[in-house]
Amino acid sequence: MTIITSIMDGVVSVDRGGNVTLMNPVAEDLLETKSFVAIGRSLKSMRGQSELLAALVEDYARIAEQREISRTVEIHDAEQDLLYIRCRTNVVYDCRGRLAGAMTLLRDVTAEFKTDQLKNQYLSIVAHELRTPLTGIKTFATMMGKGTLGELNGRQEHVCESIREQAVRLEHQIDKLINLGNLESEDYGQDREVVAMGEFLAGILLPFEQLARDRGVSLSLKSEADGVALFADRSDLRRACQALIENAVKFVHDDGCVRITVVPEEEGLRFCVSDDGIGVDPRYQRRIFEQFFQVEDPLTRHHGGAGLGLFVARSVIEAHGSRIEVSSQLGHGADFSFMLPIYRPEHSGLATETDND
Amino acid sequence: MQRTVLIIEDEKLIIVSTQMVLEAAGFRVESATNGEDGIKQARMQAPDLILLDVMMPGIDGWETLTRLKRDRDTSDVPVVVFTAREHARGHQKSAEMGAADYFRKPFEPDELIELVEKHVG
Repeated sequence: MTIITSIMDGVVSVDRGGNVTLMNPVAEDLLETKSFVAIGRSLKSMRGQSELLAALVEDYARIAEQREISRTVEIHDAEQDLLYIRCRTNVVYDCRGRLAGAMTLLRDVTAEFKTDQLKNQYLSIVAHELRTPLTGIKTFATMMGKGTLGELNGRQEHVCESIREQAVRLEHQIDKLINLGNLESEDYGQDREVVAMGEFLAGILLPFEQLARDRGVSLSLKSEADGVALFADRSDLRRACQALIENAVKFVHDDGCVRITVVPEEEGLRFCVSDDGIGVDPRYQRRIFEQFFQVEDPLTRHHGGAGLGLFVARSVIEAHGSRIEVSSQLGHGADFSFMLPIYRPEHSGLATETDND
Repeated sequence: MQRTVLIIEDEKLIIVSTQMVLEAAGFRVESATNGEDGIKQARMQAPDLILLDVMMPGIDGWETLTRLKRDRDTSDVPVVVFTAREHARGHQKSAEMGAADYFRKPFEPDELIELVEKHVG
């Protein structure tokens, strides 16, 4: 009991009938009610923080089926400031395994939320500010290279081309930053079409080959998917696959091994990226898919990146109605995989419908 | 007769580089650095094509486009909207508002020439 009283999160528990059995001081503050008023009563009939109470009432109505509900609720506090409260509700069973009620943890995540927003805005501004001068550099180098400003000798032409190439490279880096930073999951998967896997997979390793060679990493693709097609957003799917590959190439040891396998199975096409790298601590196996999350281990600090690759991969795959599974043991590599339904032409009527959505 | 392209864009650097590309391809290029000036110039010069940036201080590109399309003197001039790459709905919006086409920044010089020729004919 002392632990629940002094815990930093709000804790509320209800019995099977939805009547409150426990409410700690943090939950009292967030719900703007008192436990001596609340205990024994249903949240439905209670006065207090209406947005949060309504959310909990809704969650308790569904919790028996769903077993776990997690969501972030926007509320206005007494000063009308916007707060973000993460509510995580789980079912509770009694000692005989029968449904006994539910328990909710409430956490104020406003600070994290605002940091995320700031990071997004910052990325947008930086990208815009960097792109404008780059457009200039690229255009001038192109025009000069073409001889528009006077004839060049071979070496000068070569230098112009090199300026141009580097500008294009920078531009891609910026695109990457902004694409990854700005989009919410609902923006993915909009442009679906029939994607032939043979062609799709043909160049997929290309961006990583140099890096893999430099580090002595063996990078291989084994596909049994020639002749198989998916109904998917081609560029988003490519981004998701490449994010998984990039992640593996990043976390594998020098001279390690990254294997991509694409295999049609009964329920769909399985895409799997395996590496024999440092692996993912079970504690973080869900969190690595969060935006900006990085495992804060001094050993892995030098890996860099914005913490967005896996977030994007997850968003894309979820937008396609599936999810990414991780299986890993710390120190023994990791498997990241997902499965998408195989496109079958006889279902094309359905596919067109989805397309028009 | 030499064809004229009017570019309405607040970034001088983009104006200068666009100008270089299009002049090398044989166009005359006029420019304005904000929407209000752009509309004035469009009425005076009757350009063959307008390249219009969306993100500008003062009246933005969408508002500028609306006014150009409402004005009988300029409503027939084709307008190509420059949208930032990350605005996925930019294309649809520009079509709905009467733009002839849209173009994503940053662009390739050759693509720009191709696009301008397509609309100026």
